[in-house]
Amino acid sequence: MKTKLLVLTFAGVSILGVRAYAHHSFASTYLEDQKVTVEADVVQFLYRNPHSFLQLESKDDKGKSITWAVEWGAGGQLGSQGVQRDTLRIGDHVIVQGQPGRDPEAHRLRMINIKRPSDGWTWKGNFD
Amino acid sequence: MTLHKMSLGLATILCLGFPAMAEIDLSGSWAAINHEDSLERGGGPYPADWAGIPFNEAGRAKALSFSQSTISMPERICWFQTQWHIAAGPFSLRMWAVPDPITGKVQAWMIGAWETRAPMTIWMDGRPHPGKNAPHDQTGFTTGVWNGNELIATTTHIKTGYIRRNGAASSDQATITTHFLRHGDLLTVALFMEDPVYLTEPYILTRSYNLSTNPVAIGGPPCIVGDEGVEPGRVPHYLPGKNPYTDEMTKRYGIPEEAEMGGAQTMYPEYRDKIKDKFKLPAKCTLNCGNNAGGN
Repeated sequence: MKTKLLVLTFAGVSILGVRAYAHHSFASTYLEDQKVTVEADVVQFLYRNPHSFLQLESKDDKGKSITWAVEWGAGGQLGSQGVQRDTLRIGDHVIVQGQPGRDPEAHRLRMINIKRPSDGWTWKGNFD
Repeated sequence: MTLHKMSLGLATILCLGFPAMAEIDLSGSWAAINHEDSLERGGGPYPADWAGIPFNEAGRAKALSFSQSTISMPERICWFQTQWHIAAGPFSLRMWAVPDPITGKVQAWMIGAWETRAPMTIWMDGRPHPGKNAPHDQTGFTTGVWNGNELIATTTHIKTGYIRRNGAASSDQATITTHFLRHGDLLTVALFMEDPVYLTEPYILTRSYNLSTNPVAIGGPPCIVGDEGVEPGRVPHYLPGKNPYTDEMTKRYGIPEEAEMGGAQTMYPEYRDKIKDKFKLPAKCTLNCGNNAGGN
């Protein structure tokens, strides 16, 4: 039974999961064994294929604005996990944990989890 | 005698019932089998891991200048890959035949698009490739012939592209030869890249697919440009000698840097003997170890 479940899971990932990846190599783009946490406001949510992107704005120690680009799953994949294009709105205050980008100038993250304290909404998972 | 004639007649009928040249039906949804070379075909390879690529010096230098942020430049987000992305990407295939409306013969085989790869049209009607000065694009121009039950497609007139998703490049002089071999519900696709500008020998990859009743979506354009963290005007790159990741595979997996840097010798099994004294098995694998041996 376990074997059957594994085979079914693998088949599902093989067929359904293939649209999650796009032009990027995650291992080349992100430091996969590191995590950073960012507390910021939503500026834009690009709900799209092949990857969605969440733009966030925070302030550094000197009060200067920093824009973060947080890479997330494909629209179809997020939709099946309950994340719709209107789940996040401009101005939402969120706490995001992600893998940092290798390019320090890009202020980029690969989403690990996200929480919106105002209503307790959360998402965590793997879109790899 | 009568029986002999009947046998001949039957054989003739059977032969006439088949196309003049052996060919098979490739149409359908083919689900990619991505557990082979799973990192390469799934999440993507590490930076500066070019083992097994028959680079020349120019190919290696170009790859070393590549930053992954390059393809997040707004003008490159929706830049198409070449047809080599069938080998370097993780996607499944949707194939169908386009018949000639008069004769019913297959005029072309089609492979559906992805967001970052144009549809592949394999012309089967004997038309010639464009002349050498004809424009190139990412799609290229592809013709096919049957060799028994094997479809062999030849793609020319491509633009520069990537042969591995970590910056290893192909030039606009490259030719891709793609072999399609069907074994029942299993499809093997073998791709040969020949590039006089960046490679010293053909680079060969094979991919396997299972026939699926679940339709493979054809995810062609539109691709949507968005902010991926690279502001307009910045061109991410590494200057010569400044790529910070050339020792990443050494630190992570103990693989000598000379192997990471590729070259034709790194394609062959005997190369392992050459570097065996330089390989140091890490005490513990922490990331992308395969087979759930640790890490993820």
